[in-house]
Amino acid sequence: MNESRPSTFGHGLLAALPIALGYFPIAFAFGVAATGQGLTAVEAVALSLIIYAGAAQFLALALITGGAPLVVAAFTLIAMNLRHLLYGPALMKRAGPGARRRHAWAWAFGLTDEVFGAALGQLARGRSFSEPFMFGLGLGAYAAWVSGTALGAWAGGGALAGYPAIEAGLGFLLPALFLALLLSILTRLQLPVIAVAAVATVAVTLLWSGTAGILAGMVAGALAGVAGLGGRGDAR
Amino acid sequence: MRADLLILALVVGACTWAFRFFPTRADLSALPAGGWLSRFLAATGPAAIATLFTASALPLLQGGAPLQLAAGTATVVGLFLATRSVVVATLAGGLVYGLVFAAIKVMV
Repeated sequence: MNESRPSTFGHGLLAALPIALGYFPIAFAFGVAATGQGLTAVEAVALSLIIYAGAAQFLALALITGGAPLVVAAFTLIAMNLRHLLYGPALMKRAGPGARRRHAWAWAFGLTDEVFGAALGQLARGRSFSEPFMFGLGLGAYAAWVSGTALGAWAGGGALAGYPAIEAGLGFLLPALFLALLLSILTRLQLPVIAVAAVATVAVTLLWSGTAGILAGMVAGALAGVAGLGGRGDAR
Repeated sequence: MRADLLILALVVGACTWAFRFFPTRADLSALPAGGWLSRFLAATGPAAIATLFTASALPLLQGGAPLQLAAGTATVVGLFLATRSVVVATLAGGLVYGLVFAAIKVMV
C-alpha cells in the first residue's frame, strides 16, 4: 500500500472530481438561499470566494439575516471552523517527514473537510504527497464551490423545486463522498476510533448542536486514538 | 457590496485560512513513534471523516428517509468494495438515493 507514485497537479484535479460533484449542488443551494434572503449575487459569490467553508457560510446567512451583531457573528463562525486546526498536522504526519510545504500558505487555503479527507485517502492508497497534487485537489474543489454559488445566485429561489428526486440525489452526494473516503482509509485497527467518533457525534448533536457534535466527534475519536484504541499511530 | 458583510467575510476567511495553514508548519519530525501525539494525529483523520459522514447522514435519517439512506449507503459500500473507486461509489450512491426517493414518491 505504500508504493510511491508521482503525484501531479492533474492527479489532484482528478481526485477532486467527486468533491466537485458534491460541492456544486450544495454551493448552488447556498447561492439560491443567499439571494433568497436578500444578498446580491456579488455578495453571495464573495462569501464563497473569501470564507470558503460551507457550513459556516450557511450559518453566516442565518446570522446576517437574523440581525446578529458583527462581532457575535464573527466569533460564532470562527468557532465553527476551529476543527480545521487538526487537519494540517494530521495531513503532514501522513505525508511523511520529507514532504515539502513551501507553498502551504497557498494550498492550505483550500484544505476543507472534503479536501483533507480526499488527500488522506489518496495517501492511504499509495499516492505520494506533493504540493502540485494539493493545488490540483484544492483548485478543483474551489472552482466547483464558487461556480456553484454563482449559478445558484443567478438561478434564484426554487430552481430545483420541480425536480425533487434530483435534489434528493444531489443532497446525498456529500454523505456518500464521506463514506467512500472513510472506506478508502479504513483499517481494522481504526474501527474503535471510528465507532467512538460516530457515537460522540450523534450524542452531542442530539443533546446540543450539530456544530458541537462535529467538534466532539473529532476530538473524542482522536482521544480514543491516544488511549491506544487506534493502534500505535506510527503506521504510514 | 455592504461594508459590514465584507468585513465579516474577511475576518472569518482570514481566521479559517490561519486555522488551515499554520498547523501545517508544525515540526513533526521529533515526534516519538507511538507517542501520545503521534497516536492523536493518526486517529484524527479517520475520526474526522467518520464524524463528517455521521453529521451529514444524521439529518437524512432524522428527516424520515431511512429507505433511500440505506439503499444509498449500501450502494456506496458495495461499489467501493467492488471497484475501489471513490468517484464511482459516490456517484452511484447519489443516483440510487435519488431513484429510491422517486420510487417512494410514486408508490405513496
